[in-house]
Amino acid sequence: MRESDEMTKFRLRGVYPALVTPFTKDDNVDEVAYRKLIQAVLGDVEGIVVAGTTGEFVYLSVEERKRLFEIAVDEVRGRKPVIAGTGAASTKTAIELAKVAADAGVDACLVVCPYFIGTDDKGIHEHFYRLAQKSELPIILYNIPQTAGRYIPRRVVEDLARIDNIIGLKDSSGDLTYTLELLEKVEGRIDIVIGHDEVVLPALAAGCSGMILASAQVFPDIWQKVFAAVHIGDLETARALQMKVQKLARIFCRLGGPVPVKAALGMMGLDMGKTRMPLKIGGALVHEDREEIRLELEKIGKVKHKESEVEQVELPLEQRFEDVGIPEDAVKKEGLAVGSSEAGTGIERVKMDLVAGSNKTSIAKAFAVQLTSPRHGYEALTIILEPNLTIRPASLVVPTVKLKNLRQANMIYGPSQSAIGRAVADCLESNVIPESVMNSHLMIFKVFMHPDALDRQKLYENNYAAASEAIKGVFSKGVR
Amino acid sequence: MPKVDWLKGIFPALVTPFTKDEEIDVEAYKKLIDFVIDDVNGVVPCGTTGEFVYLSMKEKMKLFDTAIDHIGGRVPVIAGTGCESTKETIETTQYAKDAGAKACLVVSPFFFRPQFNEVYDHYEKVNDVGLPLIVYNIPQCSGTHHRWWTTEGLADLTNVIGVKDSSGDMPYMMALFEKVKGQIAILCGHDEIGMPALAAGADGLILASANLIPDIWQEMYAAVQKGDIAKAQDIQARIQKLVRIIANKGASQAVKEGLAMMGLPVGESRRPILSGGIFEREDREEVRAQLEFLGKIQRKKVELKDRKGKTVHTDYPVCPKTPPDFGDLSFRNGEAFSGPPSSEVAHIDLLLGWKDGPVGTALDEALVRDNGGDGTRMKLVMDRPKLLIVPTVTIRTQRQEQHVFVHAAGGIVAATQRLIEIGVIPGALLDEISMIANVFVHPSASIPKRIRLNNYKAMGAAVKKALEHQPTLEEVLREKASARHPFRYTP
Repeated sequence: MRESDEMTKFRLRGVYPALVTPFTKDDNVDEVAYRKLIQAVLGDVEGIVVAGTTGEFVYLSVEERKRLFEIAVDEVRGRKPVIAGTGAASTKTAIELAKVAADAGVDACLVVCPYFIGTDDKGIHEHFYRLAQKSELPIILYNIPQTAGRYIPRRVVEDLARIDNIIGLKDSSGDLTYTLELLEKVEGRIDIVIGHDEVVLPALAAGCSGMILASAQVFPDIWQKVFAAVHIGDLETARALQMKVQKLARIFCRLGGPVPVKAALGMMGLDMGKTRMPLKIGGALVHEDREEIRLELEKIGKVKHKESEVEQVELPLEQRFEDVGIPEDAVKKEGLAVGSSEAGTGIERVKMDLVAGSNKTSIAKAFAVQLTSPRHGYEALTIILEPNLTIRPASLVVPTVKLKNLRQANMIYGPSQSAIGRAVADCLESNVIPESVMNSHLMIFKVFMHPDALDRQKLYENNYAAASEAIKGVFSKGVR
Repeated sequence: MPKVDWLKGIFPALVTPFTKDEEIDVEAYKKLIDFVIDDVNGVVPCGTTGEFVYLSMKEKMKLFDTAIDHIGGRVPVIAGTGCESTKETIETTQYAKDAGAKACLVVSPFFFRPQFNEVYDHYEKVNDVGLPLIVYNIPQCSGTHHRWWTTEGLADLTNVIGVKDSSGDMPYMMALFEKVKGQIAILCGHDEIGMPALAAGADGLILASANLIPDIWQEMYAAVQKGDIAKAQDIQARIQKLVRIIANKGASQAVKEGLAMMGLPVGESRRPILSGGIFEREDREEVRAQLEFLGKIQRKKVELKDRKGKTVHTDYPVCPKTPPDFGDLSFRNGEAFSGPPSSEVAHIDLLLGWKDGPVGTALDEALVRDNGGDGTRMKLVMDRPKLLIVPTVTIRTQRQEQHVFVHAAGGIVAATQRLIEIGVIPGALLDEISMIANVFVHPSASIPKRIRLNNYKAMGAAVKKALEHQPTLEEVLREKASARHPFRYTP
């Protein structure tokens, strides 16, 4: 056990990123990429964490962890502390890994609560107690019940905090009642740092001395500002900053651990390769949400925004349905009801063109053609209030701006499908659409929304307003 | 020897029928009792399936009285008298005793989570009322899971004659057999494990699904008593899909909609339980399909017109919403969604119409444009009726292609064949109908079997909805405000 010495005791203060582990195409640790990542973040952080949860430590062999520790120590060259993730399910392996880490020259170990097989207070205490006895390095306890399956019990922490070389605890639970219990009980004996990106500000305000975060390798600068703002008591600034990154924090915390972090780094030009199987994009992080990460990174200036081109040609209303298979002369000859409307301002503005008519007119064929021969990027979907609750008269929404990815697609279909669905339902209730046409008529809504639109609630409102107006306009003239 | 000898067999936890304005529908209640009575060993008014937490004391009294009077001693009535507080539980139990209930079913005190000593004291006080008492463990609702030592202790109370365990926690139940078997009756309340519970020694079952299929449960009970385990296993397997939905997806609403499909309308559950909520629309379709499979839904004649306007009839197991006349089939659409899991959901937009109408023409033209639908962008998967599958997500990988054109298509074709077999799609019109199925399979889907089954279910529902004009105006208006579109919100 280390000698007790307040002067040399390792203090856990400020911002530490839990680095991802980059892999090459053939699934080996990518040393070049790792060095690049460390260089990219080192200036903005107090130290780094190697082979933590975000570093996929459970998927790494002891050899690989050793190599990562060595690369990190070599790359950092003593400028800042390197904390090694040395946790394991068994006490024996945890002790071995702490030795490996010490030999590699790291400054401290981050040791996760023993996992998989259930143990109790006594077993968890024993795990850390023995490790502390055997290890030369300062030890940081690591509470992450979402993955480990259990908390490090508060009473156990109380006792462990009195051991000299146990110097801190990282709490990733996000459960602030637990965090505050610890702050109360350890009485400053060890440093408590927050490990949950969504609650950094309240945790710091409550007394946490710093943070170890996945997102601290994506935007360490913002966390530094939050840290500084809380330090001087400028809570307003801290709140504004936390809110600015809240959606990203939520995605990182909840949607697949390292998967979204690697996706974000990739977008920022730091290719870290794939996560190891079974983790993959399309699991907890679906493709739609990956695109959401890009937009959020654009908002905080980490990725350059590429303006989408949205050239729209304004044709006379009767000609606007040619591309969905209803030529101008059909509109005129068959007396199809057409209308146009718009709602909202700025990037969330919505424009709509509506054609309505009986299923004995050309609209029926057009409807069927849209569903048999979808135009790539302009795919039509039937309007529903929610899956399994379609709307009648049967209606289609067709985007007028080409959809380039799944996020844009679900942005268009989510708010517009449900808002137009609600508008149709409300118009049925108020008799704007007579019940008699419910099963005999069809509607096609061509909808313009900007591909960069972000605010789904605004899009919903604007879609609702535009659809209501278009329906009222069309049905007040009479629909055949 | 157990304290009473009558507490064995099959007991339905009766639903509470409501009229349109949410009043108790006494007549429907009597009809329900008449429907089940020959196949049961007793009934339970005001249990969980009876929505006891949504009932006032007065309403419970009315239900106890109605059941007891109407049954007139033919079978025992076990009154659900459990409440949050000990005081109210005692009052309710006293009323049930005076009204002539044979026993009471007393749920673990809920909302606040009392400690086990507090739970014991609660039952001890209710025991003093003097009505035979069945202790009721249902942690999924009450929030407290009894331990075997709690129940073991309660078994010593003079009036405790049984325990009903709805947890589905078989190790807990096994401990009960070890500790109190023979002393008090042990009843299983979880529909998914009725068979193994009986085989392991349960004295009987108190179930939500015994409202719908008391005869089947009785058959299983008899099989287990005779030691015919193979037969009992077969029966459980036959009803497993139905009872899984009932046990997990809003029991009261599921049972009520099932009863309506069987011709016994009992109204809706009280809010916040709502149709299309926890009991999802796809669950309704599945309950319908399962009741059809079990032969519990009557076939009825439906009229429709062929392409030339001549009247054709078909008959198939209809639901209450099925119109007697399908009307004009020239252009129909139906949409259906089926999960879980989220990665393998099926979402089908279906068009159905005459082969020379807009649907058929669009189908034929699409095939010409796509060189006969060779299976890269679309595929004709059936000729009678003509059925074209069009993926809604652009296919980029071979895996996706397999998912849509092999697995989803497999489910869709099987569903269509089944619909023809049971008469939903009339045999006389097979050469006249064309169908276009827009099929959504998520690019992240993995499990082929789930893709197939979800598409099977969605196709069955989509065709029925297209023919039966579903959803109805009433459904749309009732649910427009509570609809939850999954893509409306940011991650």
